Amino acid sequence: MKFDMDYIAHNNELTEFNPYVKLFLTIILLIVTLALDNLYFDVFIFVVMSIVILAIAKISFRSYFKFLTIPMAFLVITCIFLLFFFGKGEVIYETGILGIVVTNDSFHYAVYTFMRVLGCLPILGFLALTTPISKILHCLRSLKIPKIMIEIALLMYNVIFIFLNEIDTMQKAQNSRLGYHSYWTSFKSLGALVSTIFLRSLDKSETLQHSLDSRGYTGELPIYEPRK
Amino acid sequence: MHIMEGYLPLNWCIIWFVISFIVVAFGLYQIKKIVDETPESKALLAVSGAFMFVLSSLKLPSVTGSCSHPCGNGLGAALFGPAVTAVLATIVLLFQAILLAHGGLTTLGANIFSMGIVGPLAAWLVYKGLTKANISSTIAIFFAAFLGDLLTYVATSFQLALAFPAPSFGSALTKFLVIFAVTQVPLAIGEGLLTVIIWDRLKAYKPKLLDKLGALAPNEA
Repeated sequence: MKFDMDYIAHNNELTEFNPYVKLFLTIILLIVTLALDNLYFDVFIFVVMSIVILAIAKISFRSYFKFLTIPMAFLVITCIFLLFFFGKGEVIYETGILGIVVTNDSFHYAVYTFMRVLGCLPILGFLALTTPISKILHCLRSLKIPKIMIEIALLMYNVIFIFLNEIDTMQKAQNSRLGYHSYWTSFKSLGALVSTIFLRSLDKSETLQHSLDSRGYTGELPIYEPRK
Repeated sequence: MHIMEGYLPLNWCIIWFVISFIVVAFGLYQIKKIVDETPESKALLAVSGAFMFVLSSLKLPSVTGSCSHPCGNGLGAALFGPAVTAVLATIVLLFQAILLAHGGLTTLGANIFSMGIVGPLAAWLVYKGLTKANISSTIAIFFAAFLGDLLTYVATSFQLALAFPAPSFGSALTKFLVIFAVTQVPLAIGEGLLTVIIWDRLKAYKPKLLDKLGALAPNEA
Protein backbone atom coordinates (compact mmCIF):
# COMPACT_ATOMS: atom_id res chain seq x y z
CA MET A 1 0.00 0.00 0.00
CA LYS A 2 2.85 2.29 0.88
CA PHE A 3 4.11 2.37 -2.67
CA ASP A 4 0.99 3.31 -4.51
CA MET A 5 3.08 5.76 -6.44
CA ASP A 6 5.18 3.02 -7.97
CA TYR A 7 2.07 1.17 -9.06
CA ILE A 8 0.54 4.32 -10.52
CA ALA A 9 3.77 5.12 -12.36
CA HIS A 10 3.53 1.77 -14.13
CA ASN A 11 -0.18 2.02 -14.89
CA ASN A 12 -1.20 5.29 -16.45
CA GLU A 13 -1.71 6.71 -19.89
CA LEU A 14 1.73 8.33 -20.02
CA THR A 15 3.83 5.37 -18.82
CA GLU A 16 5.00 4.55 -22.33
CA PHE A 17 5.56 8.17 -23.30
CA ASN A 18 9.21 8.98 -24.06
CA PRO A 19 10.90 9.23 -20.63
CA TYR A 20 13.59 11.62 -21.93
CA VAL A 21 10.96 14.18 -22.83
CA LYS A 22 9.31 13.78 -19.45
CA LEU A 23 12.57 14.12 -17.55
CA PHE A 24 13.72 17.19 -19.49
CA LEU A 25 10.33 18.80 -19.29
CA THR A 26 10.30 18.30 -15.53
CA ILE A 27 13.77 19.73 -14.99
CA ILE A 28 13.21 22.71 -17.28
CA LEU A 29 9.84 23.52 -15.76
CA LEU A 30 11.26 23.30 -12.24
CA ILE A 31 14.10 25.65 -13.09
CA VAL A 32 11.79 28.09 -14.87
CA THR A 33 9.34 28.10 -11.97
CA LEU A 34 12.11 28.77 -9.46
CA ALA A 35 13.83 31.34 -11.63
CA LEU A 36 10.70 33.35 -12.43
CA ASP A 37 9.42 33.20 -8.86
CA ASN A 38 6.24 34.81 -10.12
CA LEU A 39 2.98 34.28 -8.26
CA TYR A 40 0.81 34.14 -11.40
CA PHE A 41 3.15 31.75 -13.13
CA ASP A 42 3.09 29.45 -10.07
CA VAL A 43 -0.69 29.26 -10.17
CA PHE A 44 -0.61 28.80 -13.93
CA ILE A 45 1.85 25.90 -13.73
CA PHE A 46 -0.13 24.33 -10.87
CA VAL A 47 -3.29 24.33 -12.96
CA VAL A 48 -1.59 23.15 -16.15
CA MET A 49 0.33 20.31 -14.52
CA SER A 50 -2.73 19.21 -12.56
CA ILE A 51 -4.68 19.03 -15.80
CA VAL A 52 -1.89 17.03 -17.43
CA ILE A 53 -1.78 14.60 -14.49
CA LEU A 54 -5.53 14.20 -14.11
CA ALA A 55 -6.80 14.46 -17.68
CA ILE A 56 -3.96 13.29 -19.91
CA ALA A 57 -2.22 10.72 -17.70
CA LYS A 58 -5.66 9.75 -16.34
CA ILE A 59 -4.51 9.37 -12.77
CA SER A 60 -7.42 9.17 -10.38
CA PHE A 61 -8.21 12.30 -8.42
CA ARG A 62 -7.88 10.39 -5.14
CA SER A 63 -4.30 9.27 -5.81
CA TYR A 64 -3.28 12.73 -6.91
CA PHE A 65 -4.88 14.23 -3.83
CA LYS A 66 -3.05 11.73 -1.65
CA PHE A 67 0.21 12.64 -3.32
CA LEU A 68 -0.38 16.31 -2.50
CA THR A 69 -1.72 16.12 1.06
CA ILE A 70 1.38 15.28 3.10
CA PRO A 71 3.70 17.87 1.53
CA MET A 72 0.85 20.38 1.64
CA ALA A 73 0.31 19.85 5.35
CA PHE A 74 4.00 20.49 5.98
CA LEU A 75 3.93 23.47 3.70
CA VAL A 76 1.05 25.13 5.51
CA ILE A 77 2.74 24.66 8.89
CA THR A 78 6.08 26.05 7.74
CA CYS A 79 4.50 28.99 5.98
CA ILE A 80 2.50 29.94 9.06
CA PHE A 81 5.78 29.80 10.91
CA LEU A 82 7.45 32.02 8.32
CA LEU A 83 4.51 34.40 8.39
CA PHE A 84 4.57 35.07 12.12
CA PHE A 85 8.17 34.74 13.20
CA PHE A 86 10.23 36.19 10.39
CA GLY A 87 10.92 39.47 8.84
CA LYS A 88 11.39 43.07 9.69
CA GLY A 89 10.06 46.30 8.38
CA GLU A 90 6.58 47.63 8.38
CA VAL A 91 4.11 45.87 10.65
CA ILE A 92 0.95 45.09 8.73
CA TYR A 93 -0.95 42.97 11.24
CA GLU A 94 -0.73 42.60 15.01
CA THR A 95 -1.95 39.40 16.64
CA GLY A 96 -1.81 40.91 20.10
CA ILE A 97 -0.31 37.71 21.56
CA LEU A 98 3.24 37.95 22.89
CA GLY A 99 3.94 40.75 20.49
CA ILE A 100 3.85 38.45 17.49
CA VAL A 101 3.34 40.46 14.36
CA VAL A 102 3.13 39.96 10.64
CA THR A 103 5.46 42.29 8.81
CA ASN A 104 5.74 43.29 5.23
CA ASP A 105 8.78 41.10 4.80
CA SER A 106 7.48 37.98 6.45
CA PHE A 107 4.26 38.23 4.48
CA HIS A 108 6.30 38.41 1.30
CA TYR A 109 8.40 35.38 2.30
CA ALA A 110 5.44 33.26 3.31
CA VAL A 111 3.37 34.00 0.22
CA TYR A 112 6.21 33.54 -2.24
CA THR A 113 7.42 30.32 -0.62
CA PHE A 114 3.91 28.92 -0.48
CA MET A 115 3.24 29.65 -4.11
CA ARG A 116 6.62 28.41 -5.23
CA VAL A 117 6.10 25.04 -3.58
CA LEU A 118 2.56 24.97 -4.90
CA GLY A 119 3.91 25.39 -8.41
CA CYS A 120 6.74 22.88 -8.02
CA LEU A 121 4.82 20.01 -6.41
CA PRO A 122 2.71 19.10 -9.46
CA ILE A 123 5.85 19.21 -11.64
CA LEU A 124 7.50 16.66 -9.37
CA GLY A 125 4.23 14.77 -9.40
CA PHE A 126 4.22 14.74 -13.18
CA LEU A 127 7.54 12.90 -13.22
CA ALA A 128 6.96 10.75 -10.15
CA LEU A 129 3.44 9.64 -11.04
CA THR A 130 3.95 8.92 -14.73
CA THR A 131 7.46 7.50 -14.98
CA PRO A 132 8.68 4.20 -13.51
CA ILE A 133 12.00 4.47 -11.68
CA SER A 134 13.73 2.00 -13.97
CA LYS A 135 13.06 4.31 -16.92
CA ILE A 136 14.33 7.34 -15.08
CA LEU A 137 17.51 5.47 -14.21
CA HIS A 138 17.87 4.42 -17.83
CA CYS A 139 17.69 8.09 -18.87
CA LEU A 140 20.19 9.12 -16.23
CA ARG A 141 22.61 6.55 -17.55
CA SER A 142 22.63 8.07 -20.99
CA LEU A 143 23.21 11.45 -19.34
CA LYS A 144 26.67 10.22 -18.28
CA ILE A 145 25.84 9.58 -14.64
CA PRO A 146 28.48 7.03 -13.57
CA LYS A 147 27.48 3.47 -14.42
CA ILE A 148 28.24 2.15 -10.97
CA MET A 149 25.76 4.50 -9.33
CA ILE A 150 22.98 3.46 -11.71
CA GLU A 151 23.77 -0.22 -11.16
CA ILE A 152 23.60 0.15 -7.40
CA ALA A 153 20.38 2.11 -7.71
CA LEU A 154 18.81 -0.54 -9.94
CA LEU A 155 19.80 -3.35 -7.60
CA MET A 156 18.51 -1.31 -4.66
CA TYR A 157 15.19 -0.76 -6.34
CA ASN A 158 14.84 -4.52 -6.71
CA VAL A 159 15.69 -5.30 -3.11
CA ILE A 160 13.47 -2.60 -1.56
CA PHE A 161 10.28 -4.41 -2.48
CA ILE A 162 11.52 -7.74 -1.14
CA PHE A 163 12.33 -6.04 2.14
CA LEU A 164 8.99 -4.33 2.39
CA ASN A 165 7.19 -7.65 2.07
CA GLU A 166 9.35 -9.18 4.77
CA ILE A 167 8.86 -6.23 7.08
CA ASP A 168 5.14 -6.44 6.59
CA THR A 169 5.11 -10.10 7.59
CA MET A 170 7.36 -9.57 10.58
CA GLN A 171 5.45 -6.57 11.84
CA LYS A 172 2.20 -8.50 11.69
CA ALA A 173 3.81 -11.32 13.64
CA GLN A 174 5.15 -8.93 16.27
CA ASN A 175 1.86 -7.10 16.48
CA SER A 176 -0.11 -10.26 17.05
CA ARG A 177 2.18 -10.99 20.00
CA LEU A 178 1.62 -7.51 21.48
CA GLY A 179 5.00 -6.38 20.24
CA TYR A 180 3.89 -2.75 19.95
CA HIS A 181 1.95 -2.64 23.18
CA SER A 182 3.95 0.05 24.99
CA TYR A 183 6.78 2.45 24.23
CA TRP A 184 9.53 0.20 25.47
CA THR A 185 8.24 -2.94 23.79
CA SER A 186 7.82 -0.98 20.55
CA PHE A 187 11.44 0.05 20.77
CA LYS A 188 12.55 -3.49 21.42
CA SER A 189 10.40 -4.90 18.64
CA LEU A 190 11.55 -2.28 16.18
CA GLY A 191 15.17 -2.94 17.11
CA ALA A 192 14.67 -6.67 16.64
CA LEU A 193 12.92 -6.07 13.34
CA VAL A 194 15.59 -3.80 11.95
CA SER A 195 18.52 -5.94 13.00
CA THR A 196 16.85 -9.04 11.58
CA ILE A 197 16.26 -7.21 8.33
CA PHE A 198 19.88 -6.16 8.28
CA LEU A 199 21.14 -9.70 8.89
CA ARG A 200 18.78 -11.04 6.25
CA SER A 201 19.88 -8.34 3.86
CA LEU A 202 23.44 -9.61 4.17
CA ASP A 203 22.33 -13.12 3.23
CA LYS A 204 20.28 -11.67 0.45
CA SER A 205 23.20 -9.72 -0.95
CA GLU A 206 25.21 -12.92 -1.11
CA THR A 207 22.41 -14.74 -2.93
CA LEU A 208 21.98 -11.80 -5.25
CA GLN A 209 25.67 -11.79 -6.05
CA HIS A 210 25.65 -15.54 -6.75
CA SER A 211 22.63 -15.29 -9.00
CA LEU A 212 24.18 -12.39 -10.90
CA ASP A 213 27.50 -14.21 -11.24
CA SER A 214 25.85 -17.40 -12.45
CA ARG A 215 24.22 -15.43 -15.28
CA GLY A 216 27.51 -13.97 -16.42
CA TYR A 217 27.26 -10.57 -14.73
CA THR A 218 30.24 -8.42 -15.60
CA GLY A 219 29.07 -5.17 -14.10
CA GLU A 220 26.39 -4.31 -16.61
CA LEU A 221 22.70 -5.06 -16.78
CA PRO A 222 21.61 -4.77 -20.39
CA ILE A 223 18.01 -3.64 -20.71
CA TYR A 224 15.71 -4.57 -23.54
CA GLU A 225 13.95 -1.54 -24.97
CA PRO A 226 10.76 -2.68 -26.70
CA ARG A 227 10.00 -0.89 -29.96
CA LYS A 228 7.00 1.39 -29.81
CA MET B 1 13.04 16.49 7.92
CA HIS B 2 13.51 16.84 4.20
CA ILE B 3 13.36 20.24 2.59
CA MET B 4 10.38 20.27 0.26
CA GLU B 5 10.36 20.59 -3.49
CA GLY B 6 10.49 24.26 -4.43
CA TYR B 7 11.08 25.46 -0.89
CA LEU B 8 14.50 26.94 -1.60
CA PRO B 9 15.16 29.75 -4.08
CA LEU B 10 17.07 28.82 -7.23
CA ASN B 11 20.46 30.23 -6.22
CA TRP B 12 20.58 28.14 -3.04
CA CYS B 13 19.49 25.02 -4.91
CA ILE B 14 22.45 25.44 -7.24
CA ILE B 15 24.95 26.15 -4.46
CA TRP B 16 23.99 23.04 -2.50
CA PHE B 17 24.03 20.94 -5.65
CA VAL B 18 27.57 22.02 -6.41
CA ILE B 19 28.83 21.32 -2.88
CA SER B 20 27.10 17.94 -2.71
CA PHE B 21 28.30 17.02 -6.18
CA ILE B 22 31.93 17.31 -5.12
CA VAL B 23 31.51 15.08 -2.08
CA VAL B 24 29.37 12.51 -3.88
CA ALA B 25 31.90 12.37 -6.72
CA PHE B 26 34.59 11.61 -4.18
CA GLY B 27 32.36 8.92 -2.64
CA LEU B 28 31.80 7.40 -6.06
CA TYR B 29 35.51 7.29 -6.63
CA GLN B 30 35.89 5.41 -3.35
CA ILE B 31 33.12 3.00 -4.23
CA LYS B 32 34.75 2.35 -7.58
CA LYS B 33 37.97 1.48 -5.78
CA ILE B 34 36.16 -0.88 -3.39
CA VAL B 35 34.27 -2.58 -6.22
CA ASP B 36 37.41 -2.98 -8.32
CA GLU B 37 39.14 -4.72 -5.43
CA THR B 38 36.24 -6.93 -4.38
CA PRO B 39 33.53 -7.17 -7.05
CA GLU B 40 31.20 -8.94 -4.59
CA SER B 41 30.77 -5.77 -2.58
CA LYS B 42 28.44 -4.21 -5.15
CA ALA B 43 25.55 -6.37 -4.00
CA LEU B 44 26.36 -5.55 -0.39
CA LEU B 45 26.31 -1.83 -1.14
CA ALA B 46 23.01 -2.09 -2.99
CA VAL B 47 21.41 -4.06 -0.21
CA SER B 48 22.68 -1.63 2.43
CA GLY B 49 21.22 1.24 0.45
CA ALA B 50 17.90 -0.56 0.26
CA PHE B 51 18.15 -1.10 4.00
CA MET B 52 18.57 2.65 4.53
CA PHE B 53 15.57 3.36 2.35
CA VAL B 54 13.40 0.80 4.11
CA LEU B 55 14.44 2.17 7.51
CA SER B 56 13.02 5.52 6.55
CA SER B 57 9.63 3.96 5.90
CA LEU B 58 9.41 2.59 9.44
CA LYS B 59 7.76 4.69 12.10
CA LEU B 60 9.74 5.48 15.20
CA PRO B 61 7.75 5.72 18.43
CA SER B 62 8.47 9.22 19.65
CA VAL B 63 7.89 10.89 22.98
CA THR B 64 6.36 14.08 21.66
CA GLY B 65 3.67 12.18 19.83
CA SER B 66 4.86 13.28 16.44
CA CYS B 67 5.77 10.24 14.43
CA SER B 68 8.98 10.24 12.55
CA HIS B 69 11.30 7.74 11.04
CA PRO B 70 14.90 6.79 11.75
CA CYS B 71 17.34 7.96 9.06
CA GLY B 72 19.88 5.24 9.65
CA ASN B 73 22.72 7.45 8.49
CA GLY B 74 24.54 7.04 11.80
CA LEU B 75 24.54 3.29 11.45
CA GLY B 76 25.52 3.50 7.78
CA ALA B 77 28.40 5.84 8.52
CA ALA B 78 29.73 3.67 11.36
CA LEU B 79 29.66 0.61 9.10
CA PHE B 80 30.81 1.96 5.74
CA GLY B 81 32.37 5.36 6.36
CA PRO B 82 31.01 8.77 5.38
CA ALA B 83 32.01 8.89 1.70
CA VAL B 84 30.21 5.68 0.76
CA THR B 85 27.21 6.67 2.89
CA ALA B 86 26.98 9.94 0.97
CA VAL B 87 26.53 8.08 -2.33
CA LEU B 88 23.99 5.67 -0.86
CA ALA B 89 22.09 8.57 0.71
CA THR B 90 21.98 10.31 -2.67
CA ILE B 91 20.23 7.34 -4.24
CA VAL B 92 17.95 6.93 -1.22
CA LEU B 93 16.92 10.59 -1.37
CA LEU B 94 16.24 10.36 -5.09
CA PHE B 95 14.02 7.33 -4.50
CA GLN B 96 12.25 9.07 -1.64
CA ALA B 97 11.48 12.03 -3.85
CA ILE B 98 10.14 9.90 -6.68
CA LEU B 99 8.46 7.07 -4.77
CA LEU B 100 7.18 8.90 -1.70
CA ALA B 101 7.08 12.60 -2.64
CA HIS B 102 9.41 13.08 0.32
CA GLY B 103 11.89 15.83 -0.38
CA GLY B 104 12.26 16.95 -3.96
CA LEU B 105 14.39 17.17 -7.06
CA THR B 106 15.42 20.83 -6.84
CA THR B 107 16.18 20.51 -3.14
CA LEU B 108 18.01 17.22 -3.65
CA GLY B 109 21.39 18.93 -3.35
CA ALA B 110 20.50 20.59 -0.07
CA ASN B 111 19.07 17.40 1.35
CA ILE B 112 22.14 15.41 0.32
CA PHE B 113 24.28 17.96 2.08
CA SER B 114 22.42 17.75 5.40
CA MET B 115 21.44 14.06 5.47
CA GLY B 116 24.09 12.45 3.36
CA ILE B 117 27.14 14.49 4.22
CA VAL B 118 26.96 16.44 7.49
CA GLY B 119 25.03 13.81 9.49
CA PRO B 120 27.10 10.78 8.50
CA LEU B 121 30.38 12.69 8.76
CA ALA B 122 29.54 13.81 12.30
CA ALA B 123 28.40 10.31 13.24
CA TRP B 124 31.54 8.77 11.82
CA LEU B 125 33.87 11.23 13.57
CA VAL B 126 32.08 10.72 16.89
CA TYR B 127 32.11 6.96 16.49
CA LYS B 128 35.79 6.76 15.56
CA GLY B 129 36.76 9.23 18.27
CA LEU B 130 34.93 7.44 21.06
CA THR B 131 36.08 3.97 20.07
CA LYS B 132 39.67 5.23 19.83
CA ALA B 133 39.27 6.51 23.40
CA ASN B 134 38.51 2.92 24.45
CA ILE B 135 34.83 3.48 25.04
CA SER B 136 32.67 0.46 24.24
CA SER B 137 31.21 0.51 20.76
CA THR B 138 27.66 0.28 22.13
CA ILE B 139 27.97 3.63 23.87
CA ALA B 140 29.85 5.07 20.92
CA ILE B 141 27.11 4.05 18.49
CA PHE B 142 24.49 5.75 20.65
CA PHE B 143 26.30 9.06 20.51
CA ALA B 144 27.12 8.59 16.84
CA ALA B 145 23.45 8.05 15.94
CA PHE B 146 22.26 10.76 18.32
CA LEU B 147 24.70 13.42 17.16
CA GLY B 148 24.47 12.35 13.53
CA ASP B 149 20.73 12.93 13.70
CA LEU B 150 21.04 16.18 15.58
CA LEU B 151 23.65 17.68 13.29
CA THR B 152 21.51 16.80 10.31
CA TYR B 153 18.89 19.14 11.74
CA VAL B 154 21.44 21.77 12.59
CA ALA B 155 22.61 21.65 8.98
CA THR B 156 19.02 21.90 7.76
CA SER B 157 18.47 24.93 10.01
CA PHE B 158 21.58 26.52 8.55
CA GLN B 159 20.32 25.97 5.03
CA LEU B 160 16.89 27.37 5.83
CA ALA B 161 18.35 30.35 7.69
CA LEU B 162 20.63 31.12 4.75
CA ALA B 163 17.68 30.99 2.40
CA PHE B 164 15.41 33.07 4.66
CA PRO B 165 17.75 35.47 6.47
CA ALA B 166 15.09 37.58 8.11
CA PRO B 167 15.53 39.80 10.00
CA SER B 168 19.15 38.60 10.06
CA PHE B 169 20.90 35.28 9.47
CA GLY B 170 21.66 34.83 13.19
CA SER B 171 18.16 35.34 14.48
CA ALA B 172 16.66 33.20 11.72
CA LEU B 173 19.08 30.42 12.59
CA THR B 174 18.15 30.61 16.28
CA LYS B 175 14.47 30.40 15.42
CA PHE B 176 14.89 27.37 13.19
CA LEU B 177 17.13 25.69 15.76
CA VAL B 178 14.61 26.24 18.56
CA ILE B 179 11.77 24.82 16.52
CA PHE B 180 13.84 21.81 15.49
CA ALA B 181 15.16 21.27 19.01
CA VAL B 182 11.62 20.87 20.35
CA THR B 183 10.68 18.22 17.83
CA GLN B 184 13.97 16.61 16.92
CA VAL B 185 15.91 16.11 20.15
CA PRO B 186 13.49 13.43 21.40
CA LEU B 187 13.65 11.83 17.96
CA ALA B 188 17.43 11.85 17.99
CA ILE B 189 17.42 10.14 21.40
CA GLY B 190 14.94 7.61 20.02
CA GLU B 191 17.12 6.90 17.04
CA GLY B 192 20.13 6.55 19.32
CA LEU B 193 18.38 3.95 21.49
CA LEU B 194 17.11 2.06 18.46
CA THR B 195 20.57 1.99 16.93
CA VAL B 196 21.98 0.59 20.19
CA ILE B 197 19.47 -2.28 20.11
CA ILE B 198 20.37 -3.00 16.49
CA TRP B 199 24.07 -2.76 17.22
CA ASP B 200 23.85 -5.18 20.17
CA ARG B 201 22.20 -7.79 18.04
CA LEU B 202 24.68 -7.30 15.22
CA LYS B 203 27.52 -7.75 17.69
CA ALA B 204 25.93 -10.90 19.05
CA TYR B 205 25.24 -12.51 15.67
CA LYS B 206 27.86 -11.24 13.24
CA PRO B 207 30.91 -10.08 15.18
CA LYS B 208 33.21 -11.26 12.37
CA LEU B 209 31.48 -9.10 9.80
CA LEU B 210 31.72 -5.98 11.98
CA ASP B 211 35.36 -6.76 12.53
CA LYS B 212 35.95 -7.12 8.80
CA LEU B 213 34.34 -3.77 8.12
CA GLY B 214 36.63 -2.30 10.76
CA ALA B 215 33.66 -1.04 12.71
CA LEU B 216 34.42 -2.46 16.14
CA ALA B 217 36.29 -0.73 18.93
CA PRO B 218 39.95 -1.78 19.14
CA ASN B 219 39.46 -3.47 22.51
CA GLU B 220 36.54 -5.54 21.24
CA ALA B 221 38.02 -6.75 17.99
